[in-house]
Amino acid sequence: MGKVKITNLKKNFGELEVLKDINLEVTEREVICIIGASGSGKSTLLRCINALEEASSGKVEVDGNDITGAHAEINKYRQNIGMVFQQFNLFPHMTVLQNISFAPVSLKLKTKKEAEEKALQLLRRVDLEEKANAYPDQLSGGQQQRVAIARALAMDPDVMLFDEPTSALDPEMVGEVLNVMKKLAKEGMTMIVVTHEMGFAREVADRVIFIHEGYILEEGPPSEFFGNPKNERTISFLNMVL
Amino acid sequence: MSIPELIVQNWPRLLAGLSMTVQLTIISLIIAGVLGLIFGLLSVSKKKTMRAIALVYVDVVRGTPLIVQAFFIYFGIPAALGIRLDANLAGIITLSLNAGGYLAEIFRGGIESISKGQMEAARSLGLPYGLAMRKVILPQAIRTMTPALINQCIITLKDTSILSIIGIQELTQTGRLIIANNYQSFEVWTIVAMMYFVIIMILSKISKRIERRMSYGKSENNES
Repeated sequence: MGKVKITNLKKNFGELEVLKDINLEVTEREVICIIGASGSGKSTLLRCINALEEASSGKVEVDGNDITGAHAEINKYRQNIGMVFQQFNLFPHMTVLQNISFAPVSLKLKTKKEAEEKALQLLRRVDLEEKANAYPDQLSGGQQQRVAIARALAMDPDVMLFDEPTSALDPEMVGEVLNVMKKLAKEGMTMIVVTHEMGFAREVADRVIFIHEGYILEEGPPSEFFGNPKNERTISFLNMVL
Repeated sequence: MSIPELIVQNWPRLLAGLSMTVQLTIISLIIAGVLGLIFGLLSVSKKKTMRAIALVYVDVVRGTPLIVQAFFIYFGIPAALGIRLDANLAGIITLSLNAGGYLAEIFRGGIESISKGQMEAARSLGLPYGLAMRKVILPQAIRTMTPALINQCIITLKDTSILSIIGIQELTQTGRLIIANNYQSFEVWTIVAMMYFVIIMILSKISKRIERRMSYGKSENNES
């Protein structure tokens, strides 16, 4: 069964149709990279998967739960869907450790002690254990993004969504964030990544998806997608970015 | 009589007046704080009716003079209902409603100053709106609001003087009553002004300290 199943998803902002008819199924442990020009709808698609954007019509299911339907349950469903943002969005008034342990404790899923132990363990995974008591302002962009990944993982999600996670970073910090994501992919996390990092897509993705003007125009495994693109639009896009 | 002599002679009355001023301020600000938070939250609500309620309240408060509000509450409403309202109570209601309106705007501004990403990050972790607001948005908003909050406290303290008009014996009214006895207008108003000034300076100093304390992890050792 699909981990994430999107059927006939449409999204309008007023008159503007951003997503026109999206169908996509993501299986467990699959890593999907979504690419496309800015304004193509790729971030909107990602944000529909955890209902940060409300779908205008169509259906999004995660783990068999209808994300687009039952609104009372959305908080519960979101606990299973981790999200990493372009602008990190760490909580500036909390230390790194508090950022990570905050949600599990507030939602009474873990005691403070359990959550902090888990947070330290996650910090070790993203190689930032020594920053546990620092505030986000004291970290570099790359370090902040790694903390943000740890924060999302603290909820033990089944699926991780990445919304251009390296686009706001200085070039020398992109690598450290991508490395954490690669490790995560290798460990079997189901991941949907909106990215401009073609190298990452080629190396890590199981499937690459090209979105153009609200439609999925082409999809396939990276070797095929990058080696032998079929759609004219895909070819011209790849020529521009590669 | 000289100013020092006047102070010595009238000290118990002046102190009682000052005490009334401070009490009115504190009680009104506590109620106004609750009102401000509630209506501030309403004004950032997704629901249109909620926002409309907040808008009407704020507009009425801002669109009418405080002295008219005081008259309306002390004379107007009791006349219409055929009841009698205690002046102190009317004063507290007036000041609370008035400051509450301004505080609602301060809360709205503070909440809106926090980037949308903060709410989204909290919601994406599965936090309900209320919890995200309470634990993530408001702590940050209140920090940016601090100077405006302190400013409103000072304004409300000074606004208590307007309540002398409905006969509350706060500091200004006390001054008027002393002058009615001795006709020493210049000296007494100097004393009253000085007392307001000293109290407000103390308040400013305390708040400066709070403001400094509230900054967290501000890039002291940025290592990017």
